[in-house]
Amino acid sequence: MSKAMDVTVTVNGEVYQKTIEPRLLLSDFIRHELNLSGTHVGCEQGVCGACTILFDGMPVRSCLMLAVQADGHEIRTVEDLGTMENLHPLQEAFQETHALQCGFCTSGFLMSILPVLEETTDLSEEDLKRALEGNLCRCTGYQHIRDAVQLAAEKMSSGGES
Amino acid sequence: MRIEGEHVFSGSREDVWAMVRDPEVLAKLLPGTTKLNQLSESEYEGEINLRIGPILGSFSGRIFVEDEVPPESCTLKAEGEGRAGFFKGSGTVHLTEQDDGTLMVYEGDIQIGGKLASIGQRLIDMTSKTMIRQGMKGLDAALEERKAEAAD
Amino acid sequence: MMAKLIGKRITRNEDPRLLTGQALFVDDVELPGMLHAAFLRSEYAHARLKGIDLSAALERPGVVAAFTAEDMGDDWSPGPPLVIPPPTIEDVEFYTRTQVPLVKDKVRHAGEPLAIVIAESRYIAEDALDDIVVDLEPLDVVTNIERALDPDSPLVHDDLESNIAAHLVQEKGDYAAIREGADKVIKRRIVIERGAAGAMENRGIVASWDIKQQQLTVWDTTQSPIPIRNGLASMFGLSEYQVRVIAPFVGGAFGPKIMMFYPEEVLLTWSTLKMGSPIKWIEDRRENFYATTQERGQVHEVELALTSDGRILGLRDDFLHDTGAYDPYGLTIPLNTQCHVLGPYEIPNFSSDLKVVFTNKTLTTPVRGAGRPQGVYVIERMLDIAARELGIDRVEIRKRNYLPNDVFPYDNVIIDQAFESFIIDSGDYLPAMEKALEMISYEKFTQEEQPKLREEGRRVGIGVVSFIETTGVGPYEGARVTIESSGKISVATGVGTQGQGHFTSFAQIVAERLGVDVRDVHLVTGDTAQFHWGTGTFASRGAVVAANAVNAAALIVRGKVLELASEALETPEEELEIEDGVVRVAKIPTRYISLGDLAQRSNPLRGAVEPGTEPGLEGTAYFGPKYGATAFGTHAMIVEVDPETMIVEIKRYIIVEDCGTILNPLIVEGQLHGGVALGIGNSFYEKLVFDDNGQLLNASFADYLIPTAAEIPTIEIAHQVTPSPLNPLGSKGVGEAGAIPVPALFAQAVENALDVEGLEILESPLSPQRLFELFHGEEKDA
Repeated sequence: MSKAMDVTVTVNGEVYQKTIEPRLLLSDFIRHELNLSGTHVGCEQGVCGACTILFDGMPVRSCLMLAVQADGHEIRTVEDLGTMENLHPLQEAFQETHALQCGFCTSGFLMSILPVLEETTDLSEEDLKRALEGNLCRCTGYQHIRDAVQLAAEKMSSGGES
Repeated sequence: MRIEGEHVFSGSREDVWAMVRDPEVLAKLLPGTTKLNQLSESEYEGEINLRIGPILGSFSGRIFVEDEVPPESCTLKAEGEGRAGFFKGSGTVHLTEQDDGTLMVYEGDIQIGGKLASIGQRLIDMTSKTMIRQGMKGLDAALEERKAEAAD
Repeated sequence: MMAKLIGKRITRNEDPRLLTGQALFVDDVELPGMLHAAFLRSEYAHARLKGIDLSAALERPGVVAAFTAEDMGDDWSPGPPLVIPPPTIEDVEFYTRTQVPLVKDKVRHAGEPLAIVIAESRYIAEDALDDIVVDLEPLDVVTNIERALDPDSPLVHDDLESNIAAHLVQEKGDYAAIREGADKVIKRRIVIERGAAGAMENRGIVASWDIKQQQLTVWDTTQSPIPIRNGLASMFGLSEYQVRVIAPFVGGAFGPKIMMFYPEEVLLTWSTLKMGSPIKWIEDRRENFYATTQERGQVHEVELALTSDGRILGLRDDFLHDTGAYDPYGLTIPLNTQCHVLGPYEIPNFSSDLKVVFTNKTLTTPVRGAGRPQGVYVIERMLDIAARELGIDRVEIRKRNYLPNDVFPYDNVIIDQAFESFIIDSGDYLPAMEKALEMISYEKFTQEEQPKLREEGRRVGIGVVSFIETTGVGPYEGARVTIESSGKISVATGVGTQGQGHFTSFAQIVAERLGVDVRDVHLVTGDTAQFHWGTGTFASRGAVVAANAVNAAALIVRGKVLELASEALETPEEELEIEDGVVRVAKIPTRYISLGDLAQRSNPLRGAVEPGTEPGLEGTAYFGPKYGATAFGTHAMIVEVDPETMIVEIKRYIIVEDCGTILNPLIVEGQLHGGVALGIGNSFYEKLVFDDNGQLLNASFADYLIPTAAEIPTIEIAHQVTPSPLNPLGSKGVGEAGAIPVPALFAQAVENALDVEGLEILESPLSPQRLFELFHGEEKDA
């Protein structure tokens, strides 16, 4: 039987202490232990990117990590980005350009794109392609997502919140 | 999936044949074998732990030896199943005496199913080659041991 | 009156929830005491079940229960057929064999469920699967639909004489006769392989039986909650009012989620009723590749008879359709194929012999396109070949065969998936083609740019295809619109939503009719407790059938509003207008009453409600079209093929689309983009590879390649609007339109790019490897 382990993780600025099985996936930890269900699981094979979160600021597939690996680290999920009344400029851009349809892959895209735009809002075609390649979407055909990133870059470069 | 190749053993054909028909040696031939019992002249059963990339599992299986023409050739049939999938295969082994020892030529077909097949595809080829290489090395070592013992 | 909201690019009502992680998907449902299920699935594609031993699994700590087919007793039965064969076609041979909840006698496809384990966590449930000892005796497997018809082929269903699931012939005119007099007869064999829908969210179910309330609640990633609710009630002896099925936000569906009474839906319900605990099952991705339905596999032997100037005299298309191990969905897909082979063209003589064939593979039910892409592929390829052989330009040959504008509604005679003869309501094909040619600069490219690039050794090609798409089929949908005392509007309809934007497009209709802000219209879809009459979201019908029901219901409420307001304001109805949430006298705008106040007035706490009237400002309406509306369009693209790697780069992609009246162009564009992306996947990157043992060799996204942003180009869209006469809004569906013509277009453009004498692409999907073989003239292994 798996021995339980104690972990302390900071998620969206809040510190959580939990006792969990070592084999618990980080994605399951976030969704079911912390009830932050905005992060979605599409494949558990590390390909689709829907489960992408920020781990110490870096985008990672939470389905490929164990929760215990997050002990002592900082995680950011989509819930930290904005609220329904107060969307982040990136989220606003997604709505304005219709860059989401079913919304299942969306949080993964947001968390993958955010660090890119926080670093620079001056994106080349190549940068844009690179930023989006790691996430699958079956609904949108990606065009509006590309539009959203460009619009978000504009919003964020003209003094929008980071 | 096709398996074929050849290997030269430094030993007589009779020695190599005897070795191939010895379950203890066969177990060495298949790395990961945890058990191999001879049930009859031509039937073996056993267990093997296989690892193909991320898929690790134990399999129980059977090997049948058919169309024996000692010490020249035989047909081997194998089948097994486990948590990670199943396999079924058959192949022939030919031994030819040559100046520098015995040439073993083997060729066969193996069908794989289950998790192994659906996720492990790209690694199966590489893994089987590695297993065969290790197996041949094992046989070489066993042959050397026998020669050493015989010399005593 | 000018439309203010219908047809406008309005951003979606539902986005803030989805963007901030506040939308409920099935796996987000957490209930006290909830248990978790996992299914043991057969690895073998065809095997006799000799025995299952659950004892070790039941002993594992944390496992609460485990069941096999035997444990189900009399509750075990194959699922109901979802679509019967059309009674309107003569001499249909059809054998109904539907999926089973758990394998009882033999396994018929890899992934078929053998047992269910219910435990305290998903992890423990999956561990327990390994504890189960199963005795399966492998049988010979049949995967190829042609070989499945050999007399000595293994039989998927032992009680049948062969693997034929269905056989029928549809005819129009007399093909055999016309063939004799044809100047040109072209005969080809076309092979199309399976693909998966690949929605980002796998399937999932939470089933919860509340003993005290005698209420069953099921959350399900289904496209059709109402039939599921009715079916589960019937199956388990409950009243429909005791069963609530909720399809919350669903992460994409594309067809397979309209398949009903999947084993898991039945088992989760059966188990919760037996155990009294809520139970959750969430499919994982590998399971999805086996346990969720797939589509596209067909083999066509087709013949086209033409005059020397390219006019089609007749077409004969005999084909096999792979239904997998079972056939619950009847003939829907291949009937779509038969209809779409006719295309937007005048084909006076037609004959099609269709055989549906069982194989030891996952069952086939519609995936975006649902048999239409195959039909379009066949006719468009044959026209391309005819054009080449007759020395006619490929665009010209299409133009010569388009149905002219004065023939609509045009009766194609043969029966379609809705059991009626296939009637095209309206069409205007030539302008769509002309517009596409203009947008892609067809002449300039073919006359100037392409020859120049070819001289430089570059393999560039252009493709142009036309297609039709049947949409908006009945039987009906319904909606209820209510003005609340706050002045906000609530709407309920039975269809579910998997990304199509119903919360917005339907709200636009209501907002327009009732003079309110779109954001003040609150919609519920997919909850049988809120609305329980209807079928579901499929076959590109939401914007036609449900939208028209919403429209009708909104108009009923509008009528009530004006009547009541007229009384309240003591002014005749004709002098009133509704805007900004109030009803006011047009000429005296200071004289008004708000919708909220009217709603309160209509539902008094004192006073009398006249007999024959209804309280409140509420209206319920249903809409069922006479037959499905046929959308159409032309797609064009320019590609470049790298002769060394055979990678195809799409340089330009053009769509001219006619889906009748558009409700929201932003949403329509999104549907088209997504459809094309799936179509590109179907054409070049995605193929489900089965080996001879029925093993799926690429059951993961690492090996089944769903296109990323890098593979999908920017798509230019032009709209044409030929309203449908079949419904008040004039709308046609567009959900599948993006996907339908892509494989045909891809084949044509790539063939054009490779520019090899005698090279014909007659298969789909392609791949870099396959293109290499075709380019160098190698034969594929049989």
